[in-house]
Amino acid sequence: MLKVKHVTKYYGDFCAVNDLSFEVASGEIFGLLGVNGAGKTTTFRMIMGLLEPTKGEITLNGKPIDYSVTDTIGFLTEERSLLTKLTVKEQALFYGALKSMTEDQILKRLDELLERFEILDYKDKKIKELSKGNQQKVQFIMAILNDPKLLILDEPFSGLDPFNVELFKKEIIDMSKRGSMIIFSSHRMEHVELFCKKIVIILRGTPVLEGYLSDIKRDYRKKNILIKGDITKKELMKIKGVYDVIEKPEELEVKIDSLEVASNVFKEVSKHKNITKFSVEEPSLNEIFVAKVGEAYEK
Amino acid sequence: MKNKLKYLTAMSLKRKIQTKWFVAANILIALVIICGINIDTIITAFGGDFDKQQPVYIADHTGVAFDSVKTMMNESSKALNTSSKKSSFDIQKTDKNEKEIKEQVDKKDGLGIIIENDKESTLKVTIISKDILDAVDSQLISNAINQTKTSLALADSGISNEQISSIYSSAKIDYEYTKDDVKKGEEGTQMLMQTVFPIVILPFFMLTLFLVQMIGAEVNDEKTTRGMEIIISNVSPKVHFFSKVIAGNLFVLFQGVLLFLYGGLGLLVRNLIGGSDITGGIGSEVGKAMNDILSSSIGSQLAYIIPLTLLLMIITFVAYSLLAGILASMTTNIEDFQQLQTPIVIISLVGYYLAMLANVFGGSLFIKILGMVPFISAILAPSLLVLGQFSILEMLLAIVLCLLTVFALIKYGLRIYKVGILNYSSKDLWKKMFKALKN
Repeated sequence: MLKVKHVTKYYGDFCAVNDLSFEVASGEIFGLLGVNGAGKTTTFRMIMGLLEPTKGEITLNGKPIDYSVTDTIGFLTEERSLLTKLTVKEQALFYGALKSMTEDQILKRLDELLERFEILDYKDKKIKELSKGNQQKVQFIMAILNDPKLLILDEPFSGLDPFNVELFKKEIIDMSKRGSMIIFSSHRMEHVELFCKKIVIILRGTPVLEGYLSDIKRDYRKKNILIKGDITKKELMKIKGVYDVIEKPEELEVKIDSLEVASNVFKEVSKHKNITKFSVEEPSLNEIFVAKVGEAYEK
Repeated sequence: MKNKLKYLTAMSLKRKIQTKWFVAANILIALVIICGINIDTIITAFGGDFDKQQPVYIADHTGVAFDSVKTMMNESSKALNTSSKKSSFDIQKTDKNEKEIKEQVDKKDGLGIIIENDKESTLKVTIISKDILDAVDSQLISNAINQTKTSLALADSGISNEQISSIYSSAKIDYEYTKDDVKKGEEGTQMLMQTVFPIVILPFFMLTLFLVQMIGAEVNDEKTTRGMEIIISNVSPKVHFFSKVIAGNLFVLFQGVLLFLYGGLGLLVRNLIGGSDITGGIGSEVGKAMNDILSSSIGSQLAYIIPLTLLLMIITFVAYSLLAGILASMTTNIEDFQQLQTPIVIISLVGYYLAMLANVFGGSLFIKILGMVPFISAILAPSLLVLGQFSILEMLLAIVLCLLTVFALIKYGLRIYKVGILNYSSKDLWKKMFKALKN
């Protein structure tokens, strides 16, 4: 288990991370969310031992993270961390050796992963000759080369097309099933929603929302109602507790303050004859994120 | 962690040596060295006016000066042409008048010399040439005329031939030394050492430049690609730092050996294509000079000069690699590092120029003090030792000071390196580095 306990990091007078705590158990996928400059990368760097926390403690299976355990960790940085003059094979041999893997182990695993990610032909190509998407694939392969017990992914989907996002998703879910702890950050909330059981949203280094995603969604008072029929936006906006209505191509999305408002909306909608859809939905993580970050900004 | 240090070192070396650019650069260096050693053969092979004798027409109206002037001009010219041992003049006696000589000089691009008696200065000479006379030729002719004038005057004074011969022979000069370990008759060898030594240690600059460039480029490459974050999350900054220093010095050692091999190859080529008057000279002269040096008292001094010099150079290389690593960690791109690289390499160039000046300002306290200063000392201290201006004790002191610098660079520089390698911004750089030093 990875435990981040009351971690604070200062750069001079600037507080990059403030009293951050979370835990990630084996097989869990954890989402670290925040806008740019929120402190996500600093947190990852502290977990990797690249930075010393000013306060607090980070442990992996009860022990502080040091060079004796880094062989079991995989790290994908937000920016490219590949030596672009090397070939894919040379890069794998280099990073694999840093993880104390033997040459045979590296080459066997590399072939397996290159095949899985459909880039086996690029094995002897220089990284700088590859497209942005393929470089991201190589970077991901390098991060999971040692089949890590703890995998840290900082914006893993950047530069990827939807087809390759699916390849990544599949691999991440498979690793989680095999018992790896996975932490990742992404600006794409739909990815976080799909993977993560637990999340923490940080703003200017301070956590503003944390816990199990299902609990967060349940506890979040505001809900959405999807309506398909001959009712108009104007009529819906008159109902008490409805704070917004979004006109979508084939339906209306009604934003309500709380679940109790849903019955009032239903009563109004029932007056119309051509209603084909009335569905109360949980808000998306994106909505919760925007709302929480917005509230925190206002504070 | 030891295995990772070994791997990182091997990886650094491989990235430097197993490239087509390393091979290309070394082919170029080898060609320059081999061609440099055989430059006279190359020049001769292409031909030109330099091997043609210049016609000189001498109209001797005194009736006695021609033979003497001809002999002295030819001897002096042969002495100057060390490789060919030939005179560059084809001297002929002529009875033609000034106008005819001028026409001949103009037509054949030669020289005309008209020698006449003169009451005031014994001889009056007119030199005729197509263009302004070359300074060396002018000096050579002038010396020949003046010596002829002296010999004619001596002959007129009734002095016997034996006495004239005695006057022209060199004066006997004997050297006596109060120091016990200085042998007589080694003055030439000493001078040779003073001239040859700075040339021998010249490759030090080249290797220093290679070393600083290699470390700077690698650290910056890893920083700018952010590969550094992956590396440092797996090995400590200390291991990473030492891997760069060890790889850099091993590379310099390898490149140094290659430079000597290219030099040897150059001499081998010289011997293979040698045999003619033009090409045979330098090789045998180098051999003779080496024999002279080894058989002299300096030969025995070399037994401690060479190891001490090599030791100081190796420690200086280590110091340079540490400094390059620290500076590279502070910079955020290769362009910034290149700006720093030049001044740090120039430091050792200061040592080279001071070594040259040490001959002129023998016993200078200022030069002696600088001879102890790390980085400068690598060239200056051995030169002062050869010149006899540094004792072994002073040389050892220079080595100790360099060692202390290495320790200081490791102790304090590592603190900067740890912070610098993961710093991507030049904002508040010095503040960050001073803070790192304090920590």
